[in-house]
Formats: sequence, C-alpha cells, structure tokens
Amino acid sequence: MSSKLVSKLSALACGAAMMAVVPFAAHSADKVISVWDLQTTEGAVKVIRDAADRFEKANPGYKVEDTHILNDAYKTKIKIAFGANEPPCVFSSWGGGPFREYVAADQVVDLTPYLDKDPAFKDRFAPASFGAVTVDGKIYGLPAENTAIAVVFYNKEMFEKLNLTPPKTWDELLQVIDVLKKNDIAPFALANKNKWTGSMYYGYLVDRIGGPEAFANAAQRKDGGSFADPVFVEAGKRLQELVNLGAFQKGYNGLDYDVGGSRRLLYTGKAAMELMGTWEASTIGNENPEFAKKLGFFPFPSVPGGKGDPSDLLGTLGDNFISVTKACPEKDKAVELIKFLTDDTAAAGRVADSRMPPIKNLKIDNPFLQEVSKLVTNAKSVQLWWDQELPPKLGELHKDTSQALFGLSKTPEQVAEEFEAAAKAELK
Amino acid sequence: MTDISTRPADGGAGGTALSLKTFAPAIFLAPAVLLLAVYLLYPLVDSFRLSLFDWNGLGSDARFVGLDNWKKLATDALFWEAAWNNILLAFFSVLVQMPIALVLAVVLDNAGKGSRILKILYFLPLLMSSVALGVLFKYFYDVTFGPLNALLDFVGLGYLAQDWLGDTRFALGAVIAVVCWQYIPFYMVLFMAGLASFPADISEAAKLDGASEATIFWKMKLPHLKGTLRTAIVLSVIGALRYFDLIYVMTGGGPEGASELMATYMYRNVFSSFQLGYGSTVASGMFIVVILIASVLMRLSKRYETEV
Repeated sequence: MSSKLVSKLSALACGAAMMAVVPFAAHSADKVISVWDLQTTEGAVKVIRDAADRFEKANPGYKVEDTHILNDAYKTKIKIAFGANEPPCVFSSWGGGPFREYVAADQVVDLTPYLDKDPAFKDRFAPASFGAVTVDGKIYGLPAENTAIAVVFYNKEMFEKLNLTPPKTWDELLQVIDVLKKNDIAPFALANKNKWTGSMYYGYLVDRIGGPEAFANAAQRKDGGSFADPVFVEAGKRLQELVNLGAFQKGYNGLDYDVGGSRRLLYTGKAAMELMGTWEASTIGNENPEFAKKLGFFPFPSVPGGKGDPSDLLGTLGDNFISVTKACPEKDKAVELIKFLTDDTAAAGRVADSRMPPIKNLKIDNPFLQEVSKLVTNAKSVQLWWDQELPPKLGELHKDTSQALFGLSKTPEQVAEEFEAAAKAELK
Repeated sequence: MTDISTRPADGGAGGTALSLKTFAPAIFLAPAVLLLAVYLLYPLVDSFRLSLFDWNGLGSDARFVGLDNWKKLATDALFWEAAWNNILLAFFSVLVQMPIALVLAVVLDNAGKGSRILKILYFLPLLMSSVALGVLFKYFYDVTFGPLNALLDFVGLGYLAQDWLGDTRFALGAVIAVVCWQYIPFYMVLFMAGLASFPADISEAAKLDGASEATIFWKMKLPHLKGTLRTAIVLSVIGALRYFDLIYVMTGGGPEGASELMATYMYRNVFSSFQLGYGSTVASGMFIVVILIASVLMRLSKRYETEV
C-alpha cells in the first residue's frame, strides 16, 4: 500500500512540477528584460511602464518585466541578487560609493561606447549629472528620475507672524533660532533615527566653512585632503553649537523620518524649519495640502569667514540612475531600453509628476520646480549626499559619527580623528 | 542524513515487511531532514566559511583572509557591546516575563469560564506582527506627541517624561519593555497548559486536608510547573539572544549603537557596509555565543528537567 502511495505522490509531484513549468514555456518566445527600481508611487511607475511599452512596440519579441520595490527592501534585495549572481538586467541606484562597489566587482556595463555613438542623446543631460555614475572616466549609468537638493523648508505663515525673514548668514540664523525659542517653537524639526537626515547639516557646514574641495579632497585622498582637517572640526563645533542652543526639537535622535516624525512637528506648528531634500515638497503636498500652502524654502545659510559659496548645494542630479548589468543576456537591448526610460517623453512624464530629471532646457511650469531649477543652475557645486558618495563602510561610519555629534557624546575632534583613521584604512 | 536515504536500497529484495519497516521512517524523515539540511545546516556551515573571507558580497573578488575577521571580532568593542545588550535583554526578559506570565496563568486558571474574553485579550500582542507593533510603540514613545509622556504629564509626573527612543540611556530599556510585553502571552499559554495538567483531585484532596490556596500553589502547583518553567526560561533566553525585529523597526540599533544587538549589528555590516565576510563572522560569533549560553543554561537547570 505504501508503495502505491509513493507512486501516487510522485505522480502528483510530477504533475505539479509540469504545471509550474507550462506557463513559462508558453511565453518563452519573448525574450524578457527584467527591470528593478524603487519607484513605488503611481505616477513614477506609470512613466516607467509607459517607456517599457514603447520599447516593446519598437522591439517585437522582447518583453519588459518591471518590478517596483520599496526603498529599504530594495537595497537589501538588489544586494542579495548580485551576491547570488542573479541580478536583473536593468537596475536603479543612487550612484556614488555603493554603486562604485558594483562597478569594481565588474557587474555593470560601461555605457560610454553606447553614448559616444549617440551624442545627441547624451548631450541632453546636464554634464554634472554623470558625476555620480562615472568611474575612471567611464559612464556606467543614466540619470533618470529627479533632481533633489537639500534646502531649508520653513513655515511662511509662522515667519510672518513673528516678523522673521529667511536667514542668509549664520548670525541671522542664530537670531531666528533665538526668536523661535522665545516663542516656544522648536527652530528645526529633525528625525535623526535615520542618520542621513542629520548628516545634511554636517555636510552643508563643511561646505560653507571649507568649500566643496574640503570634502572632495578628503574623500578622494588628493591634494592633502583629510577628514582630520580643521574644517571638519569647526563644522562639528558649529553643529554642536546649534544643538546646545536647542535648535532641534526634543528627541531628534530617536524620531523616524520614514513615518513622518519630523513633518508632524511642522504640521502642528511645534517646529518652524526643516533641512531636507526637495522631494519633501511633494511629500508634504500629498500628506497635508493645507500646510503645503504655507511652505517656503531657502538655501542653507553662509558661515562667516567660510570659503564655501552659499550657492553650493548638497544633493543629487539624477536621484536615481539606471544601469545595465553584465549578467544580462541581452545587453544591447537593455541599453536601448534604458534610453527609452530616460528619453524626452519619459522626462516630460516625470515633469508632469512634479519631478525634474537633470535634462537641459527642460520645460517646467511648476513654480516650485522652477525655483529649484534656478538654484541648481546657479550652483557652483552640487555635492552628492555624503552617505551615498562615500564607500559603504565609510558612509555608515559617517552616519554613525554625525549622529554622535548630534547626541553630544563625541567631540568634533574625536569624530574627525576617528573618521580620518577609517578613511585612511579604507581609501587608498 | 545521506545514509538514511540510501538505507532503503539494501532492504529491497528481502521480505516486504522488513523493507517497509526500513522504508517508512526514511520517507517520513526525508522532507524534514532535507529542509533542515538546505535551510539550516548549509547556511550555518557556509557562513562559517564566508567568515574567513574579505568580501563585499558582489562579484567574485572574495579574498581569503584566514582568521583575520575573527581576530577583528574578538577586539570589536561594538560587537561585544551588542552582545552585552543581548544579555541584558535576555536577563530582563526572564525577570519580567516569567513572573507576570505565571501570575496571569494562575489567575486565568482559577477564574474558570468567565475568563475567556480575558484569555483572548491577553493573547492579542502575540498575534500582532512585530513591525506593526514597532511602529505603534514608536508613536507611543514619541517625545512630543506620544501618549506616554502625555500621561506622565497628566498625572503630575511630567519631570519623568523622557526622550525614550532618542536618548542613549533609555532606548534599550524602552525597547526591552515592548519585547517583554509582546512575549508574555506566549509564556502565559505555556504555563496555563502546565497548570491544566495538574490533577484536580490532588488539589481537592489537599483542600480537604486543610491546605490553603497559597500552600497548594507554592508547594504543589509550582513544583509541578518546574519543567515548563525551565523550558520557558531557555526559550526566552535563546529568543532574546537572537532578537532582531522590534529593535530594527524601533531604533535600528541606535541612537549611537545604544540598543544595538548582535543581529542588528550583523545586518548593518552585511547590508549597509557591504561587508559580507565580516558580517558572516558576526553571525557565526553570534551562533557561538548563543550555543555557549544556551548549553550552560541547560546544564545548570538539568535537575529541573521533566517532560513538559
């Protein structure tokens, strides 16, 4: 009886296996190009699917399989896929340090020859936007989604009521902080559980004090650049000066940005300002349209005696970059697909979705984006977020040490030395 | 496990009764053994292998570094801090969960049928996903908007209000409280099952002999439960040493590593710092720490061993 059972079971198993295979077999005529990205809003997905449809129409026999994954899950999933040697054909990244790991591991297709063949396509992009995906002079990705820079958002209504104007200098900022404190309002809303949120303050202070070269030279180990440079120490001191003044609301190191920890403080009028990427405007527009009407923004103030130009920005031109993996069996077609994903039609779709891909002469009629665009055009330097620019290990350490600066548990000198020691070991 | 699956071959030609006897256990065991081998044994061995490499987890440039990672682990203050946090979590889990779970179990056991609704209510935390709980308690602990600080303020204890998750002094304790709260129902059910198996006629006989409820509990029921208690403590300690989810959701191990556990430290190494080799060393080190503590605990509590 048991042998009968076994044969029945195995027949069942075979049947199940066949059923599992059949649907795939039916489509095997189409060659599949897989795309993974971290666009999960309706508008962003539509732009991608639309470009994929156009690609499929132009290339019969090819199918695009687009998968959209939430931010943090994406970071984990893409890493496992590469480690297991089963990456998708096309993937998204932020460029910078983590991306360079993929390039160094020989996983990413060099796009330079393809772009050289089609200069008209390449020249549409703002030249600076390739910086984050260029390794040793070769371009490995196309800037796709957005231009995001860190600016100080503020509650216009509250500023008017208290007779405040957006501060342009450090001293003006201190005055604004003073007035807000006297009115029992937290000057800055900061959700620093995530650490990259606080990192922006440190990044801007270093730029304003030492200019963009201070960080660039230290990160690239050239011209004697060092993270132990007095610039980094002074930036840390200014940051802790803000902390000691009570410039951030209580509990900043524990609040979670992802669940709106900082924005709730703005909405309820408990805080007046927030240093954040420009995506915050559309997030607020979605979450609280009423508050969005009171929202204004200004660039990070200058620091007296600092070498940095107040037009310098911290952020990303491209936001997400798309690349083709070497494991992809259809590399040429995949490259064609990413051109569809970043062409003028796709760019127009993104503009309609209140985003601004780094493309020259982009037609924008959203007043907020126009202002952002003006800032970017006038900027002498746009430094990629530090945690993305640095190699992953240092990026983590930077986030940890900047949180420690905010927590006042490490001195600026300690942080500068600890970071320089790690950088020396990691960057050669 | 391979010898089990090959064993049937020699029983084939003999009497059918014998071959069935050898066949059946092997067939029934095979799926479990196979799953264990693929999902438990292989990853375990492989993470030990990976711990000998310097590898970012991408491509094929893994570099064999021998015991370098292990030397680094031995002197890695962050890892040992995390391990210490795990031990704190284990200690407080046992200290808080066991008495409360026991009290609840005894109360519900005595309350009879009327306690049905309470049983369900008390069981609820265990049914909620840790991620949902984590988000919920993040709001609960919120400095500005959280009900905890508001409550403290309301009863005039405003000076006790704290930055629960953002202050290095409180973050670990705040999360431990939630972890304990979440798992109390599990041990409560375990103890209730143990109490239910206590023969009613014995306690009746004791009552006739003039024993008070307290005497029955301390002298009879509690000794009856000691096997269950041992199991519960071992489970609680092992669970605490491997803990990950609520910490990851609520604090991410922060601020400044104040609530870092071995598992969150491993995760950060592998997925944020791209150090798969060292991350595997952390995982293996964690395995060794858990095995050591668990076996010491089992050995020390051996005399309480009974069938549960």
